[in-house]
Amino acid sequence: MSDVVILGAGIHPFGRFDTSYEEIGATAAAAALADAGVAWKDIQAAYLARMYLPATSGARILRRLGSTDIPIVDVEAACASGGVALRQAILAIRSGEADLVMVLGTEKMPRGFMDPRMIYAPWQIEMGMSLNPSYWSMRARRHMHEFGTTDLHIAKVAYKNHRNSVHNPNAMYRKEFSLEEIANSPLVCDPIRRLEICAPNDGAAAVIVASKERAAKLGGNPITIAACCHSIARFSADFRCPADSMSATANNPGPTEVTGHMAYERAGLGPDDIDCFEVQDTDAFCEVEIYEELGLCGLGEAGRLIDEGTTEIGGAKPVNMSGGLISKGEPVGASHLGQVVEIVSQLRGQSGKRQVEGAKVGLAHVLGAGGNCAVTILKR
Amino acid sequence: MANDTGGPRRAAIRDGLLTEPLDDLSKVRLQGSRCRQCGEVTLGRNSLCPNCGGSELEVVPLSDRGELWTYTVVRHKPPGDYRGPEPFRPFGLGLVELPDGLRVMSPIEGDVDSLTVGMPLTLKVAVHHTGPSGEDVVAFAFAPAR
Repeated sequence: MSDVVILGAGIHPFGRFDTSYEEIGATAAAAALADAGVAWKDIQAAYLARMYLPATSGARILRRLGSTDIPIVDVEAACASGGVALRQAILAIRSGEADLVMVLGTEKMPRGFMDPRMIYAPWQIEMGMSLNPSYWSMRARRHMHEFGTTDLHIAKVAYKNHRNSVHNPNAMYRKEFSLEEIANSPLVCDPIRRLEICAPNDGAAAVIVASKERAAKLGGNPITIAACCHSIARFSADFRCPADSMSATANNPGPTEVTGHMAYERAGLGPDDIDCFEVQDTDAFCEVEIYEELGLCGLGEAGRLIDEGTTEIGGAKPVNMSGGLISKGEPVGASHLGQVVEIVSQLRGQSGKRQVEGAKVGLAHVLGAGGNCAVTILKR
Repeated sequence: MANDTGGPRRAAIRDGLLTEPLDDLSKVRLQGSRCRQCGEVTLGRNSLCPNCGGSELEVVPLSDRGELWTYTVVRHKPPGDYRGPEPFRPFGLGLVELPDGLRVMSPIEGDVDSLTVGMPLTLKVAVHHTGPSGEDVVAFAFAPAR
């Protein structure tokens, strides 16, 4: 299998804007082209990751860059859409059909809770079982019961991510909150609080990917995609399906564990080889659970990892240097590519005050509805 | 789905979720589908097993008693066509482990501040709201066992 590399990356800040999704998306696409030193006319195929945009959004956005007849494909896999789009581009390159491809994620979403009709049956909505954070919160409660994880552990993750975001010009909030402010913010779904949860918003991010051979001709310092894997939750292995019931007897590993393992194997690396992580912190507890499922620590040990500061910038395993979704917001289709843009910046040593010193390998992880999970590992 | 006893017409909130008839709600149970191939029990009447894909499923009434496996409190009115009480009141939501081998997502009645993992619960089937054709829509919840 041929290596696929990232030649360039670009982002439109995550936030809330009056501009159209076409303009937001085109801004990130143009930035990625400029960063790669590649012209739009040389791109052979493009994939758009999005969940809340209308039909053929990819073509509508990218037409702004100039007349084209290349295949432009819209991809949707809930919160994992960006990873799935990136994987499609890699497959296109490995197939030999293309050697220079754009992957764009763009979203423009209404404020507040996400429209439940996208993922819930009418009866679940009528009964009030259609609030995404309620599912995450139930995971948190069970973890607290089994392993003694505390409200303070969860608050500490939110504290870390908000603090990291102060140094990220592309994040929405960019504000540090005290532990007290976080712990006293209103409950959304017990035990998860307002300042521990991400907000849907607008944003875009893009990368230009190429075969290693094409990249060599173009020059520059490409980042290698060591793995990009996608899977969906096995039977009864994840709450986010969204489940109306769970098996009490099946014991399947969760999608993060499965996809993470797949990516580690593909890359020939393990969690101890990764210098920095960007993971799905739709709520602060989600990040806690991911520490364990990606093997940053053993089962039930995430609380200790937080207390020891291991996942802070400067710790042994920094997580969500960008501020995570909690502070950036989650423009669903753009979120994984936003993580990839952050990892590229870290591996190039361009992350300023949020830089992980000497970072050579980074991992990006997303997880969402349908138990869709994507994990990408990049190295320089 | 409608009954013929002269009372208001009734319908389960999800087809195949509840045992019938619905005229005496104190006798209505949740029902599940037990796969003859792998043994998994899933909620409601299903034609295929979501675990093994088997097509020989037996519809079984589920236990009306269980234990709270985990829970949350929904503090904000859920989005979309939520048909719970007006004005909105925060309510418990949890996974109730039944002896049949599954955990059912369910509203949990009672004081939201007294929920604990492991607490015993009993099924409550009741009219939830009025449907689009004027029918009584029947849904379920679990409440602390007395």
